[in-house]
Amino acid sequence: MRDKTVLELLQARGVSRRGFLKFCATTASLLALPPSAAAAIAETLGKTRRPSVIWLSFQECTGCTESLTRAHLPTIESLIFDAISLDYHHTLQAASGSAAEAAREEAMKAAWGQYVLVVDGSIPLGEQGYYSAIAGVSNLEMLKETAAGAAAIINMGTCAAYGGIPQANPNPTGAVPVSAIIKDKPIVNVPGCPPIPVVMTSVVAHYLTFGAVPELDHLGRPKSFYGDTIHDRCYRRPFYDQGKFATSFDDEGARNGWCLYQLGCKGPTTYNACATVKWNDGTSFPIQSGHGCIGCSEPNFWDKGSFYQPLSAGIWGDRQATLGTAAVAGAAVGAVAAASTRIRQQHASEEK
Amino acid sequence: MSDSKPIDIPVLALGPRGDDMTGRAILRQLEELLAALVERDEPGSIDLRSLPFGPEDRQLLEEALGEGEVEAEVESMGPSRVRETGIPGIWWVTHYGSDQQPLAELLEVTYCPEILITPSDAAKEGLSALRARLFESDHMGR
Ligand code: SF4
Repeated sequence: MRDKTVLELLQARGVSRRGFLKFCATTASLLALPPSAAAAIAETLGKTRRPSVIWLSFQECTGCTESLTRAHLPTIESLIFDAISLDYHHTLQAASGSAAEAAREEAMKAAWGQYVLVVDGSIPLGEQGYYSAIAGVSNLEMLKETAAGAAAIINMGTCAAYGGIPQANPNPTGAVPVSAIIKDKPIVNVPGCPPIPVVMTSVVAHYLTFGAVPELDHLGRPKSFYGDTIHDRCYRRPFYDQGKFATSFDDEGARNGWCLYQLGCKGPTTYNACATVKWNDGTSFPIQSGHGCIGCSEPNFWDKGSFYQPLSAGIWGDRQATLGTAAVAGAAVGAVAAASTRIRQQHASEEK
Repeated sequence: MSDSKPIDIPVLALGPRGDDMTGRAILRQLEELLAALVERDEPGSIDLRSLPFGPEDRQLLEEALGEGEVEAEVESMGPSRVRETGIPGIWWVTHYGSDQQPLAELLEVTYCPEILITPSDAAKEGLSALRARLFESDHMGR
């Protein structure tokens, strides 16, 4: 199976040439690439061997895997995922105990230097790393050992990317993100608590298609999904711009669907695709369900003060003064605030 | 809680965004792409899902492009709808997943979208299949 190209694998599943064209066009769209990339994708997939993926779960709640597997995956995405060889994932694999660990070692040996390592969860450094261990091997050791043979690392979720909830104050286990330990491999961060399913599959698909990591921002996130703030794309934005804010969860403003800024929405400082890609098969996202964004794809989101205090009142982000004035003064300033987040994002990535 | 009444929470933004700037920009780009097709035989396409594309933009495009003569549905890994617009050479192609969710929406500027053309391998297989059927019917004396 490992020797087959992705195209051959799809053909073996009964995908016709037209289906393949559709697969390539849809993949290009999914990866936010220009339509002309579809031809390049078709060519690459005709040659690419099935890549091996090893998925390690450390200090985490399994929410990222739940998000991925409970996703209502359209056929095309499931095909992308079928096209990879998920050689080790201790939640999803049938094997357990020493057989599972043997599978990991075998997969590492078979594709040394070429496999993609996916990590969810942070790594505890306290007590020599033994706050969390799998089959007697500490997370720290397992990460170092497995990362050594990886071509690239994809951090799924805020815990692996930035430390997340295990690292939140008072961080009893001394949890750190992957990047604090591994310094010599390309790393992609796919933060979110959990990340959006299609974002997870697309980043893996990007690597599968191009054999390289996508373009990243200053926090290591793919720009195609984390290029804009929630606020930039929020459908409640016209109310923000008009200075119409809900001030409690049951006031007139809330009932009219006004902006949730005063109720603590962290949309203006949070880079993620929830407002466009949405959740549960495109049904909705927190703001559409009446709750402000909690900023879960940003570093230290848990320790930045209350989820229910407006940005202007807290220590969240570095633009509280601007946004505070906007919230109070209302109209028009919103556009400037959004522009300044873009400039900040650009600036930061230029500084990289 | 006995006196609690169900609350209607309209969480959709009121009214349209009020502009069709993206639609206008797309029309300009279509003009360039169609010129490239006519003058240099270069096909092109625009991915509508990659743009901030609101209902006003869609309305503008639908009105400006109109309906053409061809409408086709391709069934391969879920349906794909292929429509020629009223501007010959511009096709509106929507790919759906098997659950009918739209996966990609493209404006293709081409003489015929590739997904409609029979692939040559498939035609070869078709020839063998047809010959086998002919052989079978000859054999059965029909
Ligand atoms: S503050 Fe939140 S609810 Fe208001 S427009 Fe921005 S992202 Fe949307």
